Amino acid sequence: MDAAPGLLVEVQQQRPMPLQGRIEAAPGELLALVGPSGAGKTSMLRVAAGLMKPQQGRVLVGGETWCDVAQGQWRAPQQRHVGLVFQHYALMPHLSAAGNVALSLLHRPRAEREREAAHWLAHVGLTGELVRRRPSQLSGGQQQRVAVARALARAPKLLLLDEPFSAVDMMARQGLYRLIADLRRELSVPIVLVTHDLHEARLLADRLVVMDAGQVLQSGTPEFVHRAPRTPRVADLVGIANRWQGWWEGGDGREPGWGWLRWGEGEAAVRLRVRDKGRMSRDRAVTFVIPGDALTLADAHTAGQPGHFAARVDGVRHQGEITMASLTLAVAGGQPLVLTLSGRERRGLQAGQALAVAFDLAQVHLMPLRPAG
Amino acid sequence: MDWQALALSLELAVVTLLVLLPLGLWLGRWLARTAWRGKAWIEALVVLPLVLPPTVLGYYLLVVFGGASPLGQVFAELGLPLTFSFGGLVLASVIFNIPFMVQPVQRAFEAIPRDLAEAAACSGLGGWQTLVRVELPLAWPGILSALVLTFVHTLGEFGVVLMMGGSIPGETKTIAIAIYDRVQAFDLAGADRMALVLLLLSLLAVAASFLATARLSAAARR
Repeated sequence: MDAAPGLLVEVQQQRPMPLQGRIEAAPGELLALVGPSGAGKTSMLRVAAGLMKPQQGRVLVGGETWCDVAQGQWRAPQQRHVGLVFQHYALMPHLSAAGNVALSLLHRPRAEREREAAHWLAHVGLTGELVRRRPSQLSGGQQQRVAVARALARAPKLLLLDEPFSAVDMMARQGLYRLIADLRRELSVPIVLVTHDLHEARLLADRLVVMDAGQVLQSGTPEFVHRAPRTPRVADLVGIANRWQGWWEGGDGREPGWGWLRWGEGEAAVRLRVRDKGRMSRDRAVTFVIPGDALTLADAHTAGQPGHFAARVDGVRHQGEITMASLTLAVAGGQPLVLTLSGRERRGLQAGQALAVAFDLAQVHLMPLRPAG
Repeated sequence: MDWQALALSLELAVVTLLVLLPLGLWLGRWLARTAWRGKAWIEALVVLPLVLPPTVLGYYLLVVFGGASPLGQVFAELGLPLTFSFGGLVLASVIFNIPFMVQPVQRAFEAIPRDLAEAAACSGLGGWQTLVRVELPLAWPGILSALVLTFVHTLGEFGVVLMMGGSIPGETKTIAIAIYDRVQAFDLAGADRMALVLLLLSLLAVAASFLATARLSAAARR
């Protein structure tokens, strides 16, 4: 059985909006739901919190059934012990920071409530006269901390964070990242973070769940999803810039686990020896990607060696700590390549320069060709 | 100066408020929240007393609750005749004031961001706790202005009262009717004083409510 002690959400619905998929998280694990706006990330969160009842589906948390449509089981949000941090904080404007946190503690005697509220506010870094201020007298980052304290005071069995950093400036964001990372370490409950910021997701999450148009497309560690996106759409959504089309010939029987990928047509075509993960049937058109860290710049004269391709730099844009370079590879009639460089090799890079790019062919990942449209 | 008429008007206004406040809170909050398709019709019915001539409203009240109607006869047998009586006046006043109470209350509840109620639910607050601890404090300025508008409007109501209640001293003769009577009797001096009292009372009440609303709204945000 899959009555895991962590979190399991399963949803199948068409109305009021399509939402399909399954997300799981172990206790103490931080799961990031990523995808463009309208992907259904927040709806997933609302189903978990009990603010939305799915047409079909279940929500299991810590061995409890919070929702099972088929069995007619349903717990209202009040009975779920769920901590939800809303995108725009949803703090009560007429209550002080402490009053907001105390709302989660109404079942306790008044004196205890105040003590406990102060404790949770201190825990997220708010002390002194700040706790008596109304939300409008606090900065965005401070309001966000009050919202987190209110969620924690609920003694949540599941912590949900809906785009918690979107309305906070960059400086406050760094502090909040640390807070979330600390919480992950000290809480032994599943945490689900909704974000459209991939950098943020990779920074904080143990696992990513990629969503688009109401569907869960793939889940796995950030590393895995980035190296082996299941579809071209996932590659798009996790920000893999370099994606080409080729022809998968399959293995030649000499070395199991490897096969031939043809890139380009006729004279201009090259054959690459790449990994065969056994998921792709032979003799078919494929999309392939390669992660940025499997590409290195090399001297122009190395072009022609296995995995090395001649290239020309089209443009260079320095953006502070990183440099974006766009190149054209002299393969398959000229293929675009975008590189993000941060080390020494970005120095002296100029438009018009000729060089070579070395592919770590073991890192090439094949996907089905994107369906037309 | 007809003190009896003024007292009757004040009594009518207070009783109207007591009846209409719970009804207005419930209906206004429901209208603010519901996604029901028939909502527009309910909203239209709520506004109707505002756009209909008082005589039309009074006429239908007479048709429905008058002594000749089945409903009127039931009430008459219970010893509560609804025409030419204080009870009938209250009924007419409640119906006539529905828009003045319900609309501001509805706007006040609509202005509360939806996620506050959701945040309250996730914090473990039940429906009543959310109403008392979150929604009423935030909607209070709107509710206050609804109360004042209804109160003042009841004091000044004339047409429906005349249709439904006539002009029985101590029973249905309100201050607005008394003023009309004085003018009909060419006693302009008598009308003058009562009109001035009504004018000042209304002005004070409305101004006080505006001041209080502004202060409350500012306090809620600061």
